[in-house]
Amino acid sequence: MADAPDQVSITLDGRVVEVPRGALLIAAAIEAGTYIPHFCWHPRMKPVGMCRMCLVEIDTPRGKMLTTSCTTPVADGMVVETSSPVVKKAQEGVIEFLLINHPLDCPVCDKGGECPLQDQTLAYGPGDGRFVEEKRHYPKPIPISDLVALDRERCILCARCTRFSEEISGDPLIEFVDRGNHVEVNTFPNHPFTSYFSGNTVQICPVGALTARPYRFRARPWDLEAVEAVSTVDSVHSKVSLEASMNEIVRISGVDCDPTNQGWLSDKDRFVYEHLLADDRVVVPLIANGDGFREASWGEAVGLAASRLADLGGAVAGLGGARSTNEDAYVFSRFLRGVVGTPHLDAQLDDGLAPEFAAAVEPRALIDDLDDADAILLWGPDLKEELPVLYLRVRKAATAGAKLVVVHPRRTGLDDVAAHTIRYRPGEGPALLRRLAAGEGDLAEARDALGAGKVVALVGRPGLAEPAELAEAVAAFALTLDDARILPLVRRGNVFGALDMGLAPTLLPGRVSVDDAERRRALAARWGSLPDGVGMGATDILEAAASGRIGALVLLGVDPVRDHPRPDLARRALERAFVVALDLFVTDSTRHADVVLPVAGLGEIQGTVTNLEGRVQKLNRVVPPPGQARPAWSILDDLAAALGSELEADAVEKIFEELATLAPAYEGLTWDRFDWAEGRDGVVVPLEGVTPPLRHVPSDPGLAVVSERPALHLARVLYDDGVLVRHCPSLASLAPEAAAHLHPRDASVLAVREGDRVRLEGVGVVELPVVLDPTLAEGTVYVPFNLAETAALGAVPSVRIDVVREAGS
Amino acid sequence: MSSPIAHWDPEYQRRAATIVERYPDVRSAVMPLLYLASLHHGHVTEEAMEEVAALTGLTAAQVQSVASFYTMYKRERVGRYLVSVCTSISCFLRGADEVLAAVEGATGVVDGETDDEGLFTVEHVECIGACGGAPALQVNYEFVEGVTPAKAAELCRWLRDARPEVVLGDEMQLLFGGRPSFDPGAPEPEGAIAPVPAFGPYGSARPGTGGGR
Repeated sequence: MADAPDQVSITLDGRVVEVPRGALLIAAAIEAGTYIPHFCWHPRMKPVGMCRMCLVEIDTPRGKMLTTSCTTPVADGMVVETSSPVVKKAQEGVIEFLLINHPLDCPVCDKGGECPLQDQTLAYGPGDGRFVEEKRHYPKPIPISDLVALDRERCILCARCTRFSEEISGDPLIEFVDRGNHVEVNTFPNHPFTSYFSGNTVQICPVGALTARPYRFRARPWDLEAVEAVSTVDSVHSKVSLEASMNEIVRISGVDCDPTNQGWLSDKDRFVYEHLLADDRVVVPLIANGDGFREASWGEAVGLAASRLADLGGAVAGLGGARSTNEDAYVFSRFLRGVVGTPHLDAQLDDGLAPEFAAAVEPRALIDDLDDADAILLWGPDLKEELPVLYLRVRKAATAGAKLVVVHPRRTGLDDVAAHTIRYRPGEGPALLRRLAAGEGDLAEARDALGAGKVVALVGRPGLAEPAELAEAVAAFALTLDDARILPLVRRGNVFGALDMGLAPTLLPGRVSVDDAERRRALAARWGSLPDGVGMGATDILEAAASGRIGALVLLGVDPVRDHPRPDLARRALERAFVVALDLFVTDSTRHADVVLPVAGLGEIQGTVTNLEGRVQKLNRVVPPPGQARPAWSILDDLAAALGSELEADAVEKIFEELATLAPAYEGLTWDRFDWAEGRDGVVVPLEGVTPPLRHVPSDPGLAVVSERPALHLARVLYDDGVLVRHCPSLASLAPEAAAHLHPRDASVLAVREGDRVRLEGVGVVELPVVLDPTLAEGTVYVPFNLAETAALGAVPSVRIDVVREAGS
Repeated sequence: MSSPIAHWDPEYQRRAATIVERYPDVRSAVMPLLYLASLHHGHVTEEAMEEVAALTGLTAAQVQSVASFYTMYKRERVGRYLVSVCTSISCFLRGADEVLAAVEGATGVVDGETDDEGLFTVEHVECIGACGGAPALQVNYEFVEGVTPAKAAELCRWLRDARPEVVLGDEMQLLFGGRPSFDPGAPEPEGAIAPVPAFGPYGSARPGTGGGR
């Protein structure tokens, strides 16, 4: 009998092992080193016992019985046989049965070579079947969405995909249809499988029934060369394997990293690699030439950039770095401050949170804190649209019983699992917050839900038209609760890493305030010099550039014309200033550049990145950069050399070593640490015993209420017209239609119906069709941010609406 | 937002509201709502499944999964008279195959299909629990037991000629049946209107309210 209270002992094939109490037999056996074949069971989903492959013999009072080990919890003293003659016969029978209808078209099946059915037929099958009848036939494959194809002949009806859709992602658009011998998995007619998470079903399908259309017939699994990395599509940093064939990334698969993605990815994480192969990727240095560009040598391009930067002295500013690695960001920070000598730099575009808040909010939550939270407050972006894998984790916690309170101007993806949903008109957040804090009226229950036990507050900007300080105020409220931790929400790739590397006017590398004299001395000693004072943030930089006070801008993977709340200002700034852009593409912003330098992208470089928890993980390299593209740090090193300085950036390991010495929050990290054992799950900084100088405890900034109508809710959608999605053919077509969403009552006041056109005037003017949205707060217009048709609108607290009347009506 | 079933008969809308209210987990309302939707549409159409999905907050795929599992949710157009011939073991031994062939012959409709006019649907079904009166068949789920091929054909011709608005098991048994499995007792007051069962917890369909068409 087991000694530890949370352990039981079972006899597994004659061997006595200690296993966790309450575990499923299949999980316990596999953990103990005895593999039990299975198809339908998946460690991240509830068991169903559908495929019967995991049958084992268990001693019962009535003798030995065949039982599905995926539905049987372990019990103390249980005696289990996993490979007795009876079990083997059962396994052979199950395989023979599963193959009755399976087409055995393995030579042309994407799954062939990594197929559980293939592998387990070899290992556990009878080697022959007695069924000679005609197999089931269906048209194959049929597209069930733009991304996924379904081959019903191959399906073994394990229900992994249908369970994933219902249990994990909460959008059950594929289901079993019909009964008995006619059962098939399918969608509803004209309701395609438009889940943001559909690619996961392809990955967990134990046969080739679901295949990813972008990957079909691109490679054989044994040809793939794979490395581990994390997805830098958003700041959750889901663990992935980057898989390449013939020096091209052809697939991204999710890797189960317990503290972050637990194996799942959004389809954007999964298919974003397509942009790396885009025809119009910049692969040689470009120099502006009239309306376009001409190709140039590295020497000429870097020389031109350096000479103009040198001429301008310190009247230079840097934007970007939030999509780069920590090493790129660190070198960018050192280049701007130490070489160019400017304090004006910003990784964000006034579309995120205050740098101190995002980088150093205390006490900061881990994603794992969601799992044992009693309540979760989400006052920020619609996670399904902005941080989809975090949406899955919140969904899981809420389904398991955490009381979720969602505060947002309209319906979010999590409303169906929320205990309380609160709507408000953007601008009136501060007033709502005060009422929520006081538990007034209809908010009393939500306030009570937050009142007891452990609370995780997920705090960000619900929309771009709302101020960043709102998050500060919400966090300050959360800290008045008994036991609350804050998880700051900003979407962009490595924005937290960039802030940690000092890419903000108020921060130095390692979560250090820019006026920390001691740290300044240490940095200046290494960097040679450090400019005085607090520099300008993104908006001030753009204004200064537009008015000529800043003469040059260095852009590192940033698109202010599309991402800044004031696209017109960004355009004027870029038109007027001398612009050096390090980018993958000629974007709406970089087309105003004077020099465009091609950088290497995901899977083409090594480096570390830091997620929204402060978890540092490593990106590995699996393909060479195309053409003459290079890592940004190496380009910046050349630029520095041309300016007569030395950045010492000649190897990524060396840069990491330097930043781990100079950036206090990263103290104690080593480059190899992320490759082994627990380090593979990443390392949350600061490490135990390391105290970064900056600890930001939010306090209520006393925000004013803005109640102009109609308020603008301008929020991001997963598939927008941003530069990455636009260059992924499989994703670009998934962007939603641009529209002005109105509450039906507001629409009736304006006398417009669904489909009528309205003209919205914000920073710029856009004309959009009306969509009625009864879930939207009244007095609000919701417009998806950064679609081709909405990009000019800009983020303003309220807009002017004019109805476009057809002539003569 | 307007109700997804605003175009239904007000009585059906009222019943739907009662059903939705009855279950703490609205998912449980799917099956009774599918019955109602098929009363409105004549059978379980795609539109019907979408309406039930909207009423319950499920996806249409989930509703389709339920509707397609149960053979008595008809997803194809059903004739005014649904003739279900039992072909399970007792009826089979007593000549069900010949009965089915006779029904096919008299109606001109092959097993599993509906005629162009929309008068007959013929199907073979698994055991309908009338083994004592085998072979048995049902018209709109009303029983006729102890039929012969000749009587079954006669029944079909009668349906075609008389076009009864309501079919009554007792009446058909008297005219076309043989030995029943048990004494049916006093005649039932209600019959069935195609294509939806007249029995069950949701009340009989009322004559002339969208059942037969």
